[in-house]
Amino acid sequence: MDTKLKKFIEELAKEPVLKKLRVADSKSAVWVQTDPKAIPEACSQCLTRGGVFDSGFAYPYSSSGEWAAAYLFRMPKFGKMLIFWAHSSVFHSISELIPGSVWDERKMLERSGKKFIGLQDQRPILIHPESAKFVKRQKTPKASGYNFAGTGAEGEFQIPVGPVHAGIIEPGHFRFHVIGEKINKLEVRLSYLHKGTEKLAENKEAATLLPLIEQISGDESVSNSVAYAQSIESACGIKVPSRSESLRLILLEMERIYNHLADLGGMSMDIGYYASSSQFLLLREEMMRLNETTFGNRFLRDLVVIGGVSRNIAPEKLGGLKAALAKFSRYLLQVEGLTMTSSTFLDRVFTTGRVFPQTAKELALVGPAARACGISCDIRRHLPYGAYARRQFKEVIASDGDVLARFTVKLGEMKESIRLISSEINEIPSGPVATKTDKALAGIPSGSFGIGVCEAPRGGCTFVVQFGKKGRLARLSIRTASFRNWRAIEKAVKSNIIADFPLINKSFNLSYSGADL
Amino acid sequence: MNEFHALLKNPKTDKISKDSDSKVIREIAELLKKRSLSPFARSITVRMIDCGSSNDVEIEEGLANSPQVDCERFGVHFTASPRHADVLLVSGPVSVNMKRALEKTYAAMPSPKAVVAAGDGAVSGGLFSKSSAVYKSGRVEEVVPVAIRVPGNPPTPYALVLGILKAGLALSK
Repeated sequence: MDTKLKKFIEELAKEPVLKKLRVADSKSAVWVQTDPKAIPEACSQCLTRGGVFDSGFAYPYSSSGEWAAAYLFRMPKFGKMLIFWAHSSVFHSISELIPGSVWDERKMLERSGKKFIGLQDQRPILIHPESAKFVKRQKTPKASGYNFAGTGAEGEFQIPVGPVHAGIIEPGHFRFHVIGEKINKLEVRLSYLHKGTEKLAENKEAATLLPLIEQISGDESVSNSVAYAQSIESACGIKVPSRSESLRLILLEMERIYNHLADLGGMSMDIGYYASSSQFLLLREEMMRLNETTFGNRFLRDLVVIGGVSRNIAPEKLGGLKAALAKFSRYLLQVEGLTMTSSTFLDRVFTTGRVFPQTAKELALVGPAARACGISCDIRRHLPYGAYARRQFKEVIASDGDVLARFTVKLGEMKESIRLISSEINEIPSGPVATKTDKALAGIPSGSFGIGVCEAPRGGCTFVVQFGKKGRLARLSIRTASFRNWRAIEKAVKSNIIADFPLINKSFNLSYSGADL
Repeated sequence: MNEFHALLKNPKTDKISKDSDSKVIREIAELLKKRSLSPFARSITVRMIDCGSSNDVEIEEGLANSPQVDCERFGVHFTASPRHADVLLVSGPVSVNMKRALEKTYAAMPSPKAVVAAGDGAVSGGLFSKSSAVYKSGRVEEVVPVAIRVPGNPPTPYALVLGILKAGLALSK
């Protein structure tokens, strides 16, 4: 452990309630065990010292039925995760301190079935009470409805929307509480796509899980696989060859480009500006075809494996990719001009769906959504991994927090991605693209943890794996960017008119599937 | 190879011919000839519903509307309401939380109607068939009758269009 971090933890231990800290250091994280009651205090101390809340998860601790609650904080100062954990039969909530942790804690509550002190909202989140009777091998729980509370304002009425929406999108339920056209309150209810992904990973061999990880969110296959592979690699001490680190960077940035293209096109489409949206859609389909010709898959699947990437990409193909991206960026400039000079467009997006920096901090937002409110939160910089540790790049930040800010952030990130890919192709190291991992995976002791992070197009995601016997996974905890950012939409639509909701939703473009694990 | 062809050529739309390199496009070309007398020849209205896919099938459906594929030239039109739909395009596996929504959407459609199961999850349950959070094995046919199956992880935009066109033919029989 470096001396600065040591000093930080010593300082933390000086607080009266945190006397009994037990610290364990691993490559990617520092684990700090506290008294169960002291968890909220420890988290509060961490926040005041520059920590950023990342996620919370629970896992079975002992055969006597005790569970452990763990809260992860990103420490950009040290380039590491700090994890506070405690085991007991009762959990203590930190949701008053960090409102953004409510969904994490509701999930922890539903998983563990333990008592949660201080958690106001204890409604089930994963399996809807009205659907519980369809679940295989499970006793039917007491069926109670799901209560949507309004604000109690006079003249307020509710508009239920979903789970089936008008567009070609995923299912989710939105309950609007409106006065006239103005939205007073929105509550998002998800989990329509809950398929038990985390549960399915249990008791499986680590290397066989990548197809499942790619199904977490279809358009974030690479980011999620890289985060997962890194969690396994950090636990087993596998060193990835530098060529595969570079190829992973190229894949991650290609994914960012094709995702952001869809978002930008979607925003133009939702205001009815088809001249621009069809150009973006055209570019998107071309980008998917470019993925296929260069990497062999439209969604860049089957490429990332534990220990590297599954196949080498020929230099001619990488050269072709670079030429195509140069052509693409010239065309993109024209489409940008078409969009950003249109008063039709600017009038609709300016000041629409604002998220204020204070809200973004409270909800611990990640990704372009947070960067659009002026918060620096790029995992590629804060917890550098892979080839990003040796690359210089700009973090695109805007300040207004409205739809326009998210548009410009995504546009800027795309240009930065093109630059990153081109320079990586220029200096790509030669050598093997994967290391042998069988021995390292088989020899991993039971109970060891690994943490992997990655900056997906929608923001940072965190994977925590816990190994069981014979190199099989005991538990997999996933926190995607979508899961963290969904609650920002609830805040962003406030005081906007209901007709602007699709536009605001699209400006975040969160994955429903990625949140419903 | 690796060129942004569509940006330079006009029209932007792909050519559909019997001599195409792609098998799916050849099949579409064949099918377009056959269907000229069917009542659903030039207008098939599709309602899509995602019951548990990982948004990849939705992305490919969205790209069926891209200028290159342009599904409306085949008469395929995505509609906002199941009341206007001839074909229900379902991606899966069907999660327990979506089961009732799928049943209600199917019930809301006027007859004659056909269901297309799109993607490996919808066809077989895929990786999730053993999960406790999907309904039975996750196959769409466990909930509603399925006319056409389009496997793929995910199916390409043209494969989806072909599936919808086949469903249109099945409807006119």
